Amino acid sequence: MAAIFNLNHHASYVHWHFLDLSVSNLVVIVLMVIVFWAAILIPFPKHGMGSKS
Amino acid sequence: MSVSEHEPPVSDQVPASWSGWVRERAVRALPPEKLLPDDQPTYVASWIYVFGVLTLSSLGVIILSGTILALKGPSWWHFTGIGHFFNSIHLWSVELFFFVMVIHLWGKYFMAAWRGGRKAVWITGAITFLVAIPCALTGYVSQQNFDSQWISTQAKDAMNASGIGSFFNLLNFGQMYSYHILLLPAAVVAIVLGHILLVRKHGVVPPFELPSTKAAASSDGATAEKQEVVS
Repeated sequence: MAAIFNLNHHASYVHWHFLDLSVSNLVVIVLMVIVFWAAILIPFPKHGMGSKS
Repeated sequence: MSVSEHEPPVSDQVPASWSGWVRERAVRALPPEKLLPDDQPTYVASWIYVFGVLTLSSLGVIILSGTILALKGPSWWHFTGIGHFFNSIHLWSVELFFFVMVIHLWGKYFMAAWRGGRKAVWITGAITFLVAIPCALTGYVSQQNFDSQWISTQAKDAMNASGIGSFFNLLNFGQMYSYHILLLPAAVVAIVLGHILLVRKHGVVPPFELPSTKAAASSDGATAEKQEVVS
């Protein structure tokens, strides 16, 4: 990872009103929101599931 | 012994021993078909229901990689290539654990997973999240390098300022290491086991009904409560 991203400097931060977030944390939060919506919107494969309800 | 093998596991008779009493209570609360179901309701066919088991899988990798790190020790995970590899596996499985656990939490929050008598399921899940945080943070101070030294000296000031620092010392490696590899993981695993057994007992929470399907169901004489019992 160090070869791809230069980590030899202070972390970058986002300041917005009372929010004070490192860019790396913000990236993880944005990724979580994307995965959350993808999990809701992407259809689940139908085969192999029970039909209990 | 040979007679009891042919008897049904749950009987109306009062068991003579404490082990029999525990067995009867356990089988009544969680019969085998509920404990290990071979099918699930159709509404479980959504990716959002996958994040609970993803959290469990990550926890499995955390425990496995952590066990290997504990067996080999700090000089191995700092100074050998394979040690670095397992150290990284341990770190990234923790990152993944929290990543998928938070999505699991969001999913369950927005579908109000405490409905239908599932209060304890929600509470044990929330407690797991809270206990997992110090479990991970004690890992940062157990690394045995300058990073852990910096984190522990900074964190002990925060702990002391809040007053909780009188109960433990973040600069005490032995104490933090035993918290990290025994006490807190044991607590996480115990609460997670309780959480899973409660999910098995109450079943997976159904999604909210759409107004159109609700109206159709009530016109057929079926109520929401009835549907929840069936599922």
